[in-house]
Amino acid sequence: MNLYFPIALLSFVNFIFLHADIVSKKTWDSKTPVNSAELFEIQNRLQELLPQVKKGLVSIEAGDGVGSGIIISEDGLVLTAAHVIGKTGKKMHVRLPNGKRVPAISLGGSEISDAGMLKITKKGKWPFAKIATKDESRIGDWCFAIGHPGGFDKERGIIVRLGRVIGKTEETLQSDSRLLGGDSGGPLFNFNGEVIAIHSRISNEPDQNFHVPIECFHINWDFYQKGELLTFDDLENRGFLGVACETTDNGLKVLNVVDGSSAQKIGLIKNDLLHSLNGENLDSREELTILISSKKPKDSIILEYQRDDVQLSVKVVLGTRPQK
Amino acid sequence: MNNSVILILLTGFSLHVQAEEDFNNSRVLDTTDRLNGSSIQDAFGSSKDIALKTTVRLLRNNKLIALGGIVHKDGYILTKASSCVGAREAETFDGKKYSLKIKKRFEETDLALYKLISDENSFQVVDWEIENNTSEGSWVLAAHASLEEIRIGVASGNSRKIGREGGVMGVLLSNAQNKIGGVKVSEIVPQAAAYRAGLLEGDIITHVDKRRVKNQDSLIKIVGKKDPGDVVRINVNRKGVLKNFVVTLGHRSVTFDLFNRNLQMSGPVSKRKDNFEMILQHDLPIPKESMGGPLFDLNGKCIGFNIARVDRVTTYALPSFLPKKVITPFLQAIPN
Repeated sequence: MNLYFPIALLSFVNFIFLHADIVSKKTWDSKTPVNSAELFEIQNRLQELLPQVKKGLVSIEAGDGVGSGIIISEDGLVLTAAHVIGKTGKKMHVRLPNGKRVPAISLGGSEISDAGMLKITKKGKWPFAKIATKDESRIGDWCFAIGHPGGFDKERGIIVRLGRVIGKTEETLQSDSRLLGGDSGGPLFNFNGEVIAIHSRISNEPDQNFHVPIECFHINWDFYQKGELLTFDDLENRGFLGVACETTDNGLKVLNVVDGSSAQKIGLIKNDLLHSLNGENLDSREELTILISSKKPKDSIILEYQRDDVQLSVKVVLGTRPQK
Repeated sequence: MNNSVILILLTGFSLHVQAEEDFNNSRVLDTTDRLNGSSIQDAFGSSKDIALKTTVRLLRNNKLIALGGIVHKDGYILTKASSCVGAREAETFDGKKYSLKIKKRFEETDLALYKLISDENSFQVVDWEIENNTSEGSWVLAAHASLEEIRIGVASGNSRKIGREGGVMGVLLSNAQNKIGGVKVSEIVPQAAAYRAGLLEGDIITHVDKRRVKNQDSLIKIVGKKDPGDVVRINVNRKGVLKNFVVTLGHRSVTFDLFNRNLQMSGPVSKRKDNFEMILQHDLPIPKESMGGPLFDLNGKCIGFNIARVDRVTTYALPSFLPKKVITPFLQAIPN
């Protein structure tokens, strides 16, 4: 419990600070404009940000198809979608906005959230975009998507689409910025010019599309950067604990325990709060999935959790995922 | 996530298609506050009213086929020519219906000028933006086909010229030599021009418009100079039997886009979406039946006419100087 106290305190301080700092709320912060003056403000801000943020956009040529990505460090780390890179260690090319191709290699990611990473392998100082911090984006924020829908087209240029964040869960952010094939892996920006999500999936409705929230990258950064890729196959074949969770400030809260699973055998129940696995703090449910699926069935793990006010620690022998 | 499907394309990674169940349990932004929600539409105020009042619906057999914009107080309507062939009737925002008379077609821009049959001479007309400052990221809006709402978006890419596409037969050709010395058809695109004319896979094309063709290149050269809608005469050798066909050429985009996944996700698109001197690209979510209508900026000024729905994220509009250039001489000749 002590572990979580400083975090809670920090966010409290932050909260106070924001209130003291912001005198008037900007039109693009979770607010619905009411007149043309406010709409004009949004237009101006968008046009002010575009030239800068477009510099870091790349088109990714990964063999069978093309996607998009965004450079986020001077040495050429690129955020994209897992389904664009396909697998780790794959050689590919990225195209800069001027059409120039540079070599790159895929790193890791997760097929669950669809987060993916790659790295430009040519040495250089690359133009890059800033990324938002955890929990910075909220429902209602104005945002804009950029990308190469349908592939790179120098005459047409980079395509921008405006929208708002219309929904957000742990592994998915939803917006009404319109997307098309080829946009996959491209960035969604907030009106501070920071990447808040990566384009992933479309729905049948053009105004409801899905992105990987930047939080998925933050939490699993090292795992992805090391070239580890969590796949659906891993989920099928690797270790299985048997809990459904949601992330809370106090740990991963158990929502459901699968009948006959290892979790049930060692007595986990609904509302237990999972804190750590083999000493690693659990900050998100995807992190739990990654840690569990890095183990084989019959491997054992040490799980620390909290029930009511009691801290508990238990050794769990992992099982296999039940066949459907 | 179980509902997600990954669709891999040849030209672009498409995105998975996902159902919305994931969000059933969590808070979402109210639809009225979304980009095209009623609250934001209302923020456009008088610009919204102007868009609705100066746009008309064009009907054929009571079915909407295009939108148009009122460009003269006597009831002259500018619209997309290739969308409104056979338009008989127009409907304004107040539900009034008028018969239509075609006045002029402008093939180069794919625009057409119609007149509402009426003695009224005080129709509200579009207010042209002459110094078009619309650039990437500028708000754009157009009337929704119902003329009760508007659709909102931004200019989304570079303004540019769109080149000519040329007509196609809808065949895939084999480069392999054959004894007859013509060009062998290896595949026929279903429902396309050659299919409808009666050509079959395996036919060897010997002549196009009486000119001997010996290889793919010579055939493509002859056909490519023609436009969609043009007719070519084809002589083929079908298993030793000589046959003649008349093929009415199709649009490249429509013919081969059937294979394109991105367009399958996009729904119906405009037939003519090529060969424009200049276009302004935007992301309004409007169907192909909304082409021909005027496009406005934040101030309610007319910055262009929607001319082609290209895909789910792309619509082309002719920037205001083009429609204005073609209709001005005609409108000036109308007595006051």
